[in-house]
Order: sequence, then C-alpha cells, then structure tokens
Amino acid sequence: MFCIASFLVLSILGIFSASNRQLAREALDCVLRRVTFRPCNTGFDQKMKAKLVGGVLTRSESAASFINKNFEILSWIFIVFFAVSSFFALRGIYYYYVYGSCNGLNQTGFCAFDPKGQNNAVSAAPLQCKENPPTAADLTLKDVDLSLFPQINNDSKDTMVFLGCYACDYSRKAYPVIMKLVDNFPVNFVFAHYPIKENSDYNSLAGECVTQQDPQALWKLNDILFSTEKTNLSDPTFIQKTVVDLGVDLPTFLKCVEDPATEAKVKNQITDITKTGIFGTPTVFINGKPLVGPKPYRVYAISLAGLFYWLK
Amino acid sequence: MNNQSFRDDFPVLQEERKGKPIVYFDNACQTLRPASVIEAVDGYYRHSSACVGRSNHKLAEEVTRACEDSRSRLAKFLHAAKKEEIIFTRNTTEGINLVAHSFDFKKGDVVLISDKEHNSNLIPWQMTAKRVGIEIGIIPTGSDGLLDLDEYRKMLNPRVKLVSLGMTSNLDGVTISGREIIQAAHKNGSLVLLDAAQSVPHMSIDVRLLDVDFLAFSGHKMMGPSGIGVLYGKYALLEKLEPFLVGGETVAYSTYSDCHFLPPPEKFEAGLQNYAGIIGLGAAVDYLQRVGFDAIRKQEQLLNSALGSRLAEMPRVKIFGPADAALRGGIVNFTVEKADHHQVAIMLDQVANIAVRSGQHCVHSWFNSRGIAGSVRASLYFYNTLAEVEIFLETFQKIIKVV
Repeated sequence: MFCIASFLVLSILGIFSASNRQLAREALDCVLRRVTFRPCNTGFDQKMKAKLVGGVLTRSESAASFINKNFEILSWIFIVFFAVSSFFALRGIYYYYVYGSCNGLNQTGFCAFDPKGQNNAVSAAPLQCKENPPTAADLTLKDVDLSLFPQINNDSKDTMVFLGCYACDYSRKAYPVIMKLVDNFPVNFVFAHYPIKENSDYNSLAGECVTQQDPQALWKLNDILFSTEKTNLSDPTFIQKTVVDLGVDLPTFLKCVEDPATEAKVKNQITDITKTGIFGTPTVFINGKPLVGPKPYRVYAISLAGLFYWLK
Repeated sequence: MNNQSFRDDFPVLQEERKGKPIVYFDNACQTLRPASVIEAVDGYYRHSSACVGRSNHKLAEEVTRACEDSRSRLAKFLHAAKKEEIIFTRNTTEGINLVAHSFDFKKGDVVLISDKEHNSNLIPWQMTAKRVGIEIGIIPTGSDGLLDLDEYRKMLNPRVKLVSLGMTSNLDGVTISGREIIQAAHKNGSLVLLDAAQSVPHMSIDVRLLDVDFLAFSGHKMMGPSGIGVLYGKYALLEKLEPFLVGGETVAYSTYSDCHFLPPPEKFEAGLQNYAGIIGLGAAVDYLQRVGFDAIRKQEQLLNSALGSRLAEMPRVKIFGPADAALRGGIVNFTVEKADHHQVAIMLDQVANIAVRSGQHCVHSWFNSRGIAGSVRASLYFYNTLAEVEIFLETFQKIIKVV
C-alpha cells in the first residue's frame, strides 16, 4: 500500500523535481510488482520507510516508534485521505471548468484557479425587504414575461437571457463574452437592462426608445454603452449624440424618453426583472439555468452546447 | 593514535550534512581520499594531461615518467621483484578476470575458492567453467569465518590448477593465513591468486615473502582514485599468460595478419590508460606509507574492539565472524533480529550522517546458502575515531528501540 501512496505523492512532486521523479519510477516499479502479485523486491518501500522513520527519530523517539510499528495502517489511512482529497480536487477542477468556480455553480468560496472570485462577482442589486437574503437557488424566470424585453429570435431551442447594467463593471466584463456566444451559437437572446447604479435610469429609457424606433439599433447602442467610459453613461447629451449617430430621429427619441408611458413600460420591465430574484448583475439565464457573475466563455458555451461545445 | 592531523587531510571529513559531521564507516566499499591524492589527480589534468609512451613531447615525457614512477612505487610497496610485475587494471575485478581469461585452463582443471568470496572472485570462475569446462571447488569456512585448512589440504589434488582466495574477507574482515595456504598449493603444483582488495589498504604485503603468484587489488579501497587497480604477477608467469584485452600499446609491431606482443606489463595494458588514476594511486601509496601500517592496524583494532564489544552485548545483534575483534580487521558486520538491514543503514544515515553498507555486500552466495537476507556492515579505517564509534552506538541504540 505504501508503494501506491508513494507513487501518487512522488508523481506529483516529480513534476517539480528530478530526484522525486526517480523515486516515483522506483515506486511505480514496486506498484507494478504488487499488482502482478510479485514481491516488491526493489527495497523501495523499506528505503522510504527508513527515511521517514529516521527523519522522525531525530525529533521524537516515540513518534518514530509509532510510525514504524503502524506503517502499513498509516499508509492505508494516507491512501484514503489522498483518495478523498483527490476526489474533491478533481471535482473542483471539473467545477471550475464547467461553472467557473471550484465550488460549483454560482458558489462562492476560495478557488485556487480564481482566487479573487472574479467569476462570481456581481454588482449588488438594491436590497429588497425579504426575511432571508436572496441566493442563486432562488433565481428563476418562472413568472417573468420575456416578451417585455428586446430580443434576437433565432428560432432556436436555446434561450439566453442577459440581465445586465451598462454602468456595472462585471456586466461590462460579461457583455462581450455574451455577444460572442450570440454570434457563435444560434440562440434566442433576450436583453434586459437592470439599472442598479445611480443615474442610469435614463439609459433604460434610452434603450426602450431606440428599440421602439429601430430594434436593430439597440444592439449597436448596447455595444457602445457597455464599452464607453462610465462617466458618459450619466451624461444625457452623450446618449443623445450616440443615438443620433445610430440613425435614430432625435426629436422622436426625446419625446419618447419624456413620455410617461415609456417610463411605465420600463418600470414594468424592472418589476419583472426583480421577479427573477436577482441580487446582482450580471445574471445570465441559459435555458432557465442561472449563472451569476461574469463567467468565462467556456462556461456559457458548455451550458448551451455541452461539455464538448468546441467540437460543435 | 592521534589521528586528527590525518583527518585534516580528508576534505570530506571537514564537511557536514544537515549541521552534523559525516561519520564514514563504509571504508570496505571505498575509502575517502586525502588531499594529496586529489591534488595528484588534479595535477595530471591541469598540467600534464598527455599520453604515456606514445608521443615525444615534453608533456608526454612528464606523464610517462610520473606513471612509471607510480609503477615503481607500487612494486616497492608490494616488495615485488621488479616493476614490470605491476599491471595496471581498472580494479580488482578486472585483475581477476584477466587471470581467468588469460590462464591456460583445460577442461577438467579445478579452481579452488572459499565459500565466502566476493562476486568478483566467483563469477569469473563460473564463466570460465562455462567457457572452458573447469570445475570450481568450494573450500568451507567455519562459523568463526576462518578457512577450514584441513578441508583445503584435502581438496588439493593434481587437477587443482589455481587457488583463488580473498585474502581478507569483505564479509567479516578475516584474513587468511596466506603463507600457509600458498605453500600447500605450491606443494601441490597449483598457483595462487589472492584478491587483496581488503588487505592492501590495511597491512603490509610482501609478495615475495608470501610467494604469491598473482595478487589483485583496487585503488579506491586504499585512498587512491576509483577506476584504477593493480594485478601483481610473478614475471615468469605473466610472460606465459596470453593477453586478455588487446589493441593499442600492447604490441611491438603488427602486420595485416599478425602481431608481436610487447613483454609484460605492456601486453596487458591495452589502450589509453587511466593516467590520472595511476598517478593518484602512487600518491595513495605514499600516503599509506606515511601513516604506517602499524598505526593503521592498531587504530582499526581499537575501534573494532570498542564497536564490536558493545554491539555484541546488545540482545538482538549478531556479529559475523570471529569474536576476537583483532581477527576482524576493520569490519564489524552484523544483523539485527527482526529488523531490516537496509532500514537500519538508512536510519543511521538519516539520523546522524553515519555511512555504512547494508545488503549482501556482493557475497550473495554466502548469504543465500545460509538463508540470510542481508546485514549491516560498518567498516573502519585509521581516520575514524572513538568519538565516531560513540556516535554510532548512541544512534544505533535509538534505532533498535524503534525498529
């Protein structure tokens, strides 16, 4: 058993050190002998045992004696711990690949591959009066009327809903990734602006009014608003100049923005957005499955097209 | 013996590992080298790294002179009749192989060896048996490690062409009574080859007094460089031997169909030799003579007695060979009941930088015939001290409490 334990550990250490690589080879030889029911006559197990016990003996005689007497049992215990920790480590890698977090979908907590938790970070939505704070498990599109929002209909079986905010850093990070997915996959795409930053309500109205005049112009407006300096977002003059550049009739636009019906529609949209249980942006729903935070491209792609999305 | 001044000559003994000094008790495997030997080897490569006996430039002349000077010193060291009786080899093993291949054995000839020979003095004869059809006679030794001389005399018969024995055993340190054995062999018309790898570093050897026919030893066990050894042979016998390895420097001339070999030692020294090793070996001989064999023997006995007597008192320890430490030379070879020999050796090294050897010490035949897995061998030399023996004993006592 010790040979197996040594082989596993030394193989990993061998990645970094040549001397451990040699020991790993010896351990492998020992393992191969054991699995073919031959005695491990390489002396490897005895050698390693002697080194370990000798090392401990320099510090504690009783500990050395204990290790020497219970070496096989300790090897077993080590193997079990190693197997368990390996399972969790491999699961963490799998989760990171599939969900962008070692801890699972929308789960926060330390992840070695994403130590700052960037893939789960959101700009927090305004607190709502609820007994328990909302969590990712509460996110749903169940009572949301998606027809209220601008969308690209590709007659696809897949639907991706992007709840983002022009002024939020994490939404701005996620936006180009989402649009790349829209380009690469034939997915029905729904965009909902959720203005959780101050002074960004005007942007919602602008989006709605542009959509009313030219639905295609909205996507161009999005490209600009998600990438422009954030200071521009609170400047109506900038917005107006931008929509004019997109071919939108300014007087009509201005009239629409001032129209209480537009404001009511936007409020209605926001009410529906809050029905999702959203607690921060960006939040993306792919076929109803919520993904909170700006995930890497592969995470969205896997949700859309499976683990081997790159083959499709 | 106040050996501190000698210890200062050995760079390794000035070093530490993990903050502790090195206790080198593996001298039967190879000894440490004094600075003078290291400098001699270094000197060849730095100042005169040229060929011997081939070229006519100054460097070649210098190195030729240095190598021949080493040969002369070795001849004098062994009390050989002439320096041409000294053949440089790689080591003892090559010396024995040279005799095994060059000797004019016939099918049915017998070679006698003891039952505790190093593989170097066993395998060459096994191969000769397969190649020529000789027979190998095994002379038994007693539980005290001493050769059964009565049995030996009984085994001598006209078919015995060669008696090949380890002069001092690397297993238990016992030195055979060479003169007596050689006389009996010669009386029988047999020649004698002594594997003196464990003898030459520890005792004065007079090949003429012994009347030994061949004697092989290695540089690395006598503070010389590794990769150099010597085969001594009586000149008349060397002249009769066919060369083992042939090629450059072994012949006076050659044609497309024939050649004429040079006389010994050249005909046995084919190809470019280990000149640095030869020069270093000469320096090792000088150093050995400066220390003196009386002092070496005295120190070894002191240490062996101190170590052996204390080990013998320990309940699980069994020492191979005679109880009298004076008969064990520098070797204390022992087993620890219910403990793995390799584990003990590695732990000695891990805990206190004590270098010993564990295993079957290339005497597999002896161990296997007795069903012994292996042993721990501490082999001492004059530069070791009683303080080191104390470190060994203290560490060993800790270890056997654990294993």
